[in-house]
Amino acid sequence: MTAVTDLPSQHASHLTVGAKAALITVVVGAICLALEGVAPWLVKWPTAWELPATQWVGAFLDWFLNGIKPAMRLFSDLMAYPMYWANVLLGSQPWPIEPIDLSEPIEPIVTPWPLVIAVVTAIGWYLGGLPMATLGFLGLSFVLASGYWTESMSTLALVSVSVPVALVVGGAIGILANEVPRVKSFVQAVLDVMQTVPTFAYLTPLLLLFGFGPVVGLIASAIYAAPPMARNVMLGLERVEPEIKEAAIMSGGTRFQQLFQVEIPAAATQIMVGVNQCLMAALSMVIIAAVIGGFNDIGWEVLLTMRKAQFGESLLAGLVIVVFAVVIDRMSGTLATERKRYDQRVVWAILVFTALFTAAFWAWLPNPSELTLLDPVAEAVDSGLTAFTQANGPWLDALKNNSLFYVLLPLRIGLDQAVLPFTWGFQWTPGMSFGLFAVGAAIAALMAWRGHLTGGLVVLILIGMLETGISNLPWPFVLTGAAALSFVAGGWRLAALSVGLLCTILVSGLWERALLSLYLSGAAVFSCAVVGGLIGLASAVWEPVWKVVRPICDMLQTIPLFVFLIPVLMVFQIGEFSAFLAICAYAIVPMIRYTRHGLVNTPEEMMEAAISSGATEWQIMRDVRAPYAAPTILLGLNQTILYAFAMLVIAALIGTTGLGQSIYLALGQADVGLGISAGAAMAILALVADRIVQGFAEEQRKALGL
Amino acid sequence: MTDANTPAIACQNLWQVFGQGADKALTDALTRSGNDADKAAADLREHGFIPAVQDANFDVKEGELFVIMGLSGSGKSTLIRCISQLLPGTGGEIRVDGENVIGAPKKALTELRRKKLGMVFQHFGLFPHMTVAENVAYPLRVQGVGKKERLARAQEVVSLVGLEGREDSFPRQLSGGQRQRVGIARSLAVNPDIWFLDEPFSALDPLIRRQLQDEFLRIQATLKKSIVFITHDIQEALKLADRIAIMRDGKIVQIGTPTDIVLRPVDDYVREFSKDVAKGQHAKVASVMRDDDQRGPDDPGLTTSMTLDAALAHCMELYEPVPVRDENGNIVGTVHPSDLAAALQVEET
Repeated sequence: MTAVTDLPSQHASHLTVGAKAALITVVVGAICLALEGVAPWLVKWPTAWELPATQWVGAFLDWFLNGIKPAMRLFSDLMAYPMYWANVLLGSQPWPIEPIDLSEPIEPIVTPWPLVIAVVTAIGWYLGGLPMATLGFLGLSFVLASGYWTESMSTLALVSVSVPVALVVGGAIGILANEVPRVKSFVQAVLDVMQTVPTFAYLTPLLLLFGFGPVVGLIASAIYAAPPMARNVMLGLERVEPEIKEAAIMSGGTRFQQLFQVEIPAAATQIMVGVNQCLMAALSMVIIAAVIGGFNDIGWEVLLTMRKAQFGESLLAGLVIVVFAVVIDRMSGTLATERKRYDQRVVWAILVFTALFTAAFWAWLPNPSELTLLDPVAEAVDSGLTAFTQANGPWLDALKNNSLFYVLLPLRIGLDQAVLPFTWGFQWTPGMSFGLFAVGAAIAALMAWRGHLTGGLVVLILIGMLETGISNLPWPFVLTGAAALSFVAGGWRLAALSVGLLCTILVSGLWERALLSLYLSGAAVFSCAVVGGLIGLASAVWEPVWKVVRPICDMLQTIPLFVFLIPVLMVFQIGEFSAFLAICAYAIVPMIRYTRHGLVNTPEEMMEAAISSGATEWQIMRDVRAPYAAPTILLGLNQTILYAFAMLVIAALIGTTGLGQSIYLALGQADVGLGISAGAAMAILALVADRIVQGFAEEQRKALGL
Repeated sequence: MTDANTPAIACQNLWQVFGQGADKALTDALTRSGNDADKAAADLREHGFIPAVQDANFDVKEGELFVIMGLSGSGKSTLIRCISQLLPGTGGEIRVDGENVIGAPKKALTELRRKKLGMVFQHFGLFPHMTVAENVAYPLRVQGVGKKERLARAQEVVSLVGLEGREDSFPRQLSGGQRQRVGIARSLAVNPDIWFLDEPFSALDPLIRRQLQDEFLRIQATLKKSIVFITHDIQEALKLADRIAIMRDGKIVQIGTPTDIVLRPVDDYVREFSKDVAKGQHAKVASVMRDDDQRGPDDPGLTTSMTLDAALAHCMELYEPVPVRDENGNIVGTVHPSDLAAALQVEET
């Protein structure tokens, strides 16, 4: 103990910034703990001090939305036309819907499904030759066999209308930002914020504007899919070699000619990456939008079967979505990677053959909605699953309960409340708290004595958090901690920003829910960081591991958010643990990828220098590769945090508390104020975490001179 | 060939300063220092500005090959971008064919580029999505020249640079040397009067570089453009230039013929450049010629344009002064063999 008390007083001026920040946090935390009994307002922000911010936001938005409603309704009416025709073309709606002249009944025409399959196969051939054509053909055949053809085409129709809108809007924003430097920073800031605002939060105001129905999904997915396009257009134009731009100027091109004849074509690869991301985002959002839609599409099908606990069916529907995602992703991916295009004659051959085939055999071809080829599979999965959960019930329950009682719950409400005779077999006493702190202090003192003062203090802080529980943390402690971290990562400005933003959550009455969200995403991020980091390390060291891990990562990144819920729900039912698992499954990918990428990309020369100095494998990893990879790994962690927040809201569907749940509830009650405020609070948490981690990454990079 | 009255390019007190509000800062700095360029530059640096080009003054005569040489970061690339107006220029004047281009309207600049200017870039600056022919024809395309016509012209220039048969290749399918040939062809497509070359051969292998230098000289011999050529390679500068400007930290420290630079460097910086150069191969007899008539009986047949090495080879056994003739065979001066030997002494540093 003497080390702790002596050091600060003697060497106060020699303390590192980190140590000072940690020390202040410890002191504030200790004060809060000590005064807990005397001043309860230190722990829990009193309701009387809350501002009715949600109501204000709601009132303002109601007024605003009502103002623009007529224009928006007009727009939505206009969008109904392309929607209808897309549906007709894809065969998910007959044409005409009603015979115009009832006295003369006309058989409505439905676009035959073989034609749709043929077109997709032909596009696949043109973009990527035989492999892509095969992928397209098999993918759509699977969809056909699943019996979800009409629903899938409905979804596809929605995507095919929303994507052009998103591409045009996103492209225009990107070009505008490129042309007008003053707009650029503004657009960048807006895009950053949009990335952190959870998807569900968009839906509530849209619901008010457009009412229920497919158009909401359309608009929502267009809004959600435009930013990646804008981002990539900006990035692509920025990255065009300066000499190419100069050559266009020196050739005497006008600005318009430079832009459209040289810069945009030269940026084509990056722009195609944008198209790919735009497509994937649109698909993902169209499916999420089913939550409010309730029309005949595949997302709705998943939701419906999930609610009815028909997990086999819902898995099948989920697989259809995955197949769509994979087909769309891989095909549009070739736009960005391959320049080669394949023989157009084959395209025509496929189309003509299919047309003839369809014309000849149409009468004998089955109606796609009546196809049930895969139903036995779904049923088998269902019964197999039941058998599995029954057989492994005790084991699965034990896994779930143990994780809940011994890990998640203590994290959430602290050891002092989570340790009960019912679960842990004994009752937590104040004496135990004291003992725990004593142990913590001892460790801290030992570490300080060995020269790791900051580390010691951090251990003390973590022990304090474990004892109290994240959702019970006193607000002054959270604010101080955030300020301290921000200060170390990015100086006064970042600290002020973090505290300012967090204070808005505090006074708006969303604080407790924010802490709950923080706890669940924090737990998930921590697990992802550890497990993903290890997998990334293993992948970097042993090539065979990466060969296995890589396709899994690719797959996890292609799957729309929504689908993650199905398997966890199947095995673990509704609840926090399932949500936790879903978040982890989604958010772990960037951690794995970035860790491996950082470790693998250590410059060859540095490795050779280390080897010739006689370093062992392990020493190289610890002293050369890991430090060099640190900034990249931090960026991976940053992505993981953002992913976790994004998934948190989706996971609210299967049982999480906190902000995610509020957003979801707001959607059900059409409460714009709550929806937007909770969404904003979520965005604030994500933004603060993002800036702090970026700050650390930046510092690391600077330290390495990168 | 030389028409000193109307220089193709004339730069006067040209400044390019980088930083927020550079225009005002330059005016202020010049006022404070009483128009002393060095002081003003130091003043600007102190205030966080970067004077990348300071007070450049030079003319490029019609048909002249003017080389700007300096180390990286000396401001030579910035200077050529000022002249071609890829950068606006902070202060001073640039006259192209007598007309000031600084502050000229955008339209006028576009017109100037379409008719009179061509530029070659260090990393080629080829458009990756266009074939060789389309790249070369692009300057004509922006002017609205018809497809047939512009491709015909492209064909001509492509043959001029020796790339026949590669018209339909894409830049990524070409070697570095071939790419730069495309760059050269494109810059010549509109048959410009003024030709800018920004380190055109620096990114190439030494062998290819020499080959392209020779071809460049061949092309220039027929086209006789007014050229601003940037390089960091003294050998290249000496080989190609009619005159050389040497830059250091944004300032032109010496302008002169290759012989001047080699034999009469103004300071240690310039001397350092020419140190490794075999002077005898670059300096001409004219540089050591005297204007007197006192010469001996021998006449080894020296001419003014002979290099010192060649002259020395002719005078190996001679000690008396010998006559020097011009291209027409008229005696124009005298060379003392001892002067030849002295000029070739490598200076001690």
